[in-house]
Amino acid sequence: MYKLFLTLRYLRKRRIAYFAIAAVLLCTAMVLIVMSVMGGFLDQLKFKARGLLGDIIVDNKSYSGFPLYEEFIADIAQWPEIQVATPVLYSFGLLRFQDTAQTHTVRVVGIRLEEVYEVNAFKHGLYYEKYYPGTTTLAEQQQPVIGVDLNAEPIELKNSKGEVLGRGARPLLPPPYEAALQKSWAAGVRDDETPPTEWTEICRDAGIPIIVGEHEVDPSGPPVLTGDSWPGLIIGRDIIAKRLADGTYKRYSMYPRGCVVTLTMIPTTGGGSVDTPIKQPFRYTDDSRTGIYEIDSQHVYCDFALLQKLLHMDAAERVDPESGAVVGTVPARCSQIQIKIHETVGGRPVNVKALAQRLQEHYLSYATSPRFKLSIGDTQLVEYVEAMTWEESQSHIIAPVEKERQLVTMLFAIISLVAAVLVLCILYMIVLQKTRDIGIIKAIGGSSGGVALIFISYGAAVGIVGSTLGTVLGYYFVRYINPIQDWLTRVNPAWQVWDRSVYSFDEIPHTVRGHDMVAVIVAAIAASTLGSLLAAWRAGAMQPVEALRHE
Amino acid sequence: MSSPLLVAQGVQKTYVMGRVQLRVLRGCDLRVAPGEFVAIMGKSGSGKSTLLHILGALDVPQAGQVLFHDEPVFAPPGRRRFATSALDVLYGYERRRIHYRRFAFGFVFQFYHLLPELNVLENVLLARMVGASTFVWSRQRARARADTLAVLGHMGLAERLRHRPAELSGGERQRVAIARALVHKPQILFADEPTGNLDAVAGAELMSLIKGLHAEGQTIVMVTHDPTVAGQADRILRLEDGQLRQV
Repeated sequence: MYKLFLTLRYLRKRRIAYFAIAAVLLCTAMVLIVMSVMGGFLDQLKFKARGLLGDIIVDNKSYSGFPLYEEFIADIAQWPEIQVATPVLYSFGLLRFQDTAQTHTVRVVGIRLEEVYEVNAFKHGLYYEKYYPGTTTLAEQQQPVIGVDLNAEPIELKNSKGEVLGRGARPLLPPPYEAALQKSWAAGVRDDETPPTEWTEICRDAGIPIIVGEHEVDPSGPPVLTGDSWPGLIIGRDIIAKRLADGTYKRYSMYPRGCVVTLTMIPTTGGGSVDTPIKQPFRYTDDSRTGIYEIDSQHVYCDFALLQKLLHMDAAERVDPESGAVVGTVPARCSQIQIKIHETVGGRPVNVKALAQRLQEHYLSYATSPRFKLSIGDTQLVEYVEAMTWEESQSHIIAPVEKERQLVTMLFAIISLVAAVLVLCILYMIVLQKTRDIGIIKAIGGSSGGVALIFISYGAAVGIVGSTLGTVLGYYFVRYINPIQDWLTRVNPAWQVWDRSVYSFDEIPHTVRGHDMVAVIVAAIAASTLGSLLAAWRAGAMQPVEALRHE
Repeated sequence: MSSPLLVAQGVQKTYVMGRVQLRVLRGCDLRVAPGEFVAIMGKSGSGKSTLLHILGALDVPQAGQVLFHDEPVFAPPGRRRFATSALDVLYGYERRRIHYRRFAFGFVFQFYHLLPELNVLENVLLARMVGASTFVWSRQRARARADTLAVLGHMGLAERLRHRPAELSGGERQRVAIARALVHKPQILFADEPTGNLDAVAGAELMSLIKGLHAEGQTIVMVTHDPTVAGQADRILRLEDGQLRQV
């Protein structure tokens, strides 16, 4: 009983213990913040990667792609684990905005838009699709031009003080776009990305849906769809807009929705040889943000069938070069198949890794199947196909970040040993200062173990108080890490740690996981208790008389 | 003469300071009967305090034995190389000494030796607390507190309960130390120069208090160099050349 009593009393009365508590507090908070931010970073990376790819990827990592994807998709569609599968094509190209000298080397991705919507989270990253649902299409289209509603009553234009500035015509988009805007407006979708302007304020006051994004405008006539029809192209957001320090994007009026862009690509044959470059105009229909900068700054997305045709990867007749006779069919090729699976089948969770293995075995069986008459070249393309879980396919990104997280956490944990050493030093100092007290306690009947336990409890108490306060500090710091960093940036822009124009994610990860908190607290208490052992041993080993005589 | 409470037989103690060996006790013999008040006198550095510490189980002799109720306080000399060694613990002598310090002996020091972080009440109560487990303490707390308040009242410290040692006079501090030594009703009270740090008036008051305790039947072994203080005892012994002699 006296051990607890004296421990608590020394904790309260010996102010030097506050330094030990402060050291444990800061180390606990530091490790928790590092674990949470790095762990959150990794989680976000995984989440984004999964959202981009689906659950299982079938790929042969060849620019030439692989055949028999339609047959494979048809086969596996019968499997109970498979929800949906879609082929994807990858190529490279040069993107040029019309009437500008602006060019970008890009990775061209051919997708079946509706299927991709089902397989992964691609839809959630589209900008115009959010405000004009259903208008983002990779099919041929014209450019929408904002006009005015000549039949409607003019809008009363007021400034922010409510003063009437005049009257103006109501802006309108061409019917499909206007209908889509009305629909999202009615559903409560509002633009939270663009800073409001005087015009948007006027529209809001007048109850008119605010036209979001950049469009061609003709204020003298009705809204129209204009120009030649070209296929739609979705462009990575970091190509078409500038990312600002606050994480939002600045769009340029020179790149309105529906503007013409040109892609120049180099097709390859099934044998891997390069064909004549082809050039194809598109219309910018939307822009995509996955949250991974490397993708958003390089990828453009067009229709799968169109890209397949442009790259000469669609099905074709096989012609004998000597006789000129048609001798068979060259199968169509794709670069990748993305598959979304059911999480459970018959109430049992699906083993994704085992399923990927089965899918790979199934596909590889095509190489020797009598169903298909493949050329030697096509057989080679089939044989290199692999099926991977999304984690395996992204392991080149995830594994280094995972290692980095472990390394940084370990480094900070080692630094935190300073706290244990500090606890040792402070307790040892307290033992030296309290030598006579130890003698007194022993003289009135305190045992060696009891006296040692006072200092072990003292170390543990320092750990408990320090780690609890440190966990609270770390928790709230992580939780409010973004406002803190915004505040620091406001005070001095040079103090901006998380530059949203550089990092893939808008926000610093700000979630603290329960098991991280428990681990940090347990480690801090253990370290503090260990730090007290030497002092406790010395205190326990003291002879009462020697301690009483201590000057 | 009734059966002795405490017996010292041939107690020897030598301090080793580098190459110098200082034999302070060269075979001390002593018998203390229940209710007796024994004073040990001697010159400064003669080994009085060392003898008292050995009698009170705070120090370990190199040779000789101390018997309390005919029970040996120390391990046999051959096993006494390390004072609180594993052997001591194994044979139970260390535990025995802790038990005596908790329940049978009370010690009063010349320099009071109160814990500065605790107030008067807590300093005295601690002596009761040390001997109790958490479970026992939860049941005995009220009684221990009542006993403590009674002892402190007896010492005239009822108004000083919440004061820290630093806020008390020398005489008051020594009375707190006596209260702490008495709170568990010890069979023997050891007092090491109890008036040595007090002025004449405070010293006289304290001796009056100690005499009162003796009158109530308390066995007391006191060390002093002051013949006036020693004169209050039933029996006076002088420590000379490391041995005790009857005065």
